[in-house]
Amino acid sequence: MEDIKNTIRVADRIRDVLLRLRHNRYLELARQLSNLDRELQDLTAVSKKMTIALAHDWLSAANDCCQSVDRLVSDIPYCVSRIKQFTEAPQKDVPTLAALVEDLDQLEQEFGDLEYDNKRGTIAVTTDPITLEDIELGPFRIQLDIGKLGELYYSSPYYVIALEPNPAATDQGVTHPHVNSERLCEGEGSSAIQAALEEGRLCDFFTLARSILNTYSPDSPYVALADWQGESCYECGSAMNSDNSYSCGFCDNSVCEECSTYCRSCQETICLACAAKCEVCEEPVCPRCARVKCTECQVVCCESCITDGLCPDCREERENENEQQREQVAGTSQSGASSDSQAAAGEVRLAG
Amino acid sequence: MRLLFVNNDGGGYADYVNVEDGMTVEQFFNEKMPGRKPEHYLIRVNRQPVARDYVLKEGDRITVTPTKIEGAAA
Repeated sequence: MEDIKNTIRVADRIRDVLLRLRHNRYLELARQLSNLDRELQDLTAVSKKMTIALAHDWLSAANDCCQSVDRLVSDIPYCVSRIKQFTEAPQKDVPTLAALVEDLDQLEQEFGDLEYDNKRGTIAVTTDPITLEDIELGPFRIQLDIGKLGELYYSSPYYVIALEPNPAATDQGVTHPHVNSERLCEGEGSSAIQAALEEGRLCDFFTLARSILNTYSPDSPYVALADWQGESCYECGSAMNSDNSYSCGFCDNSVCEECSTYCRSCQETICLACAAKCEVCEEPVCPRCARVKCTECQVVCCESCITDGLCPDCREERENENEQQREQVAGTSQSGASSDSQAAAGEVRLAG
Repeated sequence: MRLLFVNNDGGGYADYVNVEDGMTVEQFFNEKMPGRKPEHYLIRVNRQPVARDYVLKEGDRITVTPTKIEGAAA
């Protein structure tokens, strides 16, 4: 008897919230209309600016207006689609108290157990343990906050809580490929879930959520099941997923972003263990490019630091030597020319 | 006869439909959900599981809910 009273109490509370939701539906429609009105006013303002710009032949200003128009008209279809969601969907009657009680009874039959928390104002069911592609994710608790049902158009009123969590190795918050931080990404079930909650069909809502949890969509998970256990970086041991895993082109080991780099000469991806260093600029080079050395001093040089087989220091030294030789040659030539002049002058004096 | 059909596959809205007298649940499913397999759905009449040859009556409430729905990552 106490259970029946409790069920009726909960059903009554749900009915009150659904009545508030009907009011909030029109509030949300009004809000969306305000958004559209704002966009249209902005468009009108830009249109006036463009007219002025064209009158003065200010083409640069007209171009700026054109870009503003492009941005505004791109936003308008979204505003319109949000409005149509409310105007096209038929307004349903709020279910009777008897219908809500029947729905809650059916919910208990479908799930075998139903928890009411009158203090927190929640209804919760627990799924059977879920296994997807041999990965055991454990049972999940789907918990609906009755009070938040009235804010359905602003925020999600329910949570999906892992009771025996086996989260993804790379993100503890992802307890299911489609659950992050206890929020279910409804995907294809989004419209049906919203309709079920709007109409007070709570059994349908919980059943739909369970169906999503029992399905793996490989095209768009938070973390793919193939990456669930993660892969350890060969160098530091940290967990990696396929997006932040790099294969060294020399040792073939998989390393994380922190333990990988690339050769500045040939751009090959390498791990830090395989990487050598250009002794001039200290940038990493791969083992193959590290065989390139200065022919004079034998330091390892990357492609950027070596010119004509010489490192910058040896090249400078070579150039200085060449310069000195040129000066010496020039000096010798001048001395030779001066001696010839003196000899010629002596001959003239002798002749005179 | 007039029935309330709650189709949770897709849009998910409930609506009244007219069908021939004497139609069974299996016939109803095949007509309203062409190309789909009943084993992929939870089918309830008046909130109860029923046999496929259950004969529908005036005012019955039929709910069809897919057991597999693809989620996503927001």
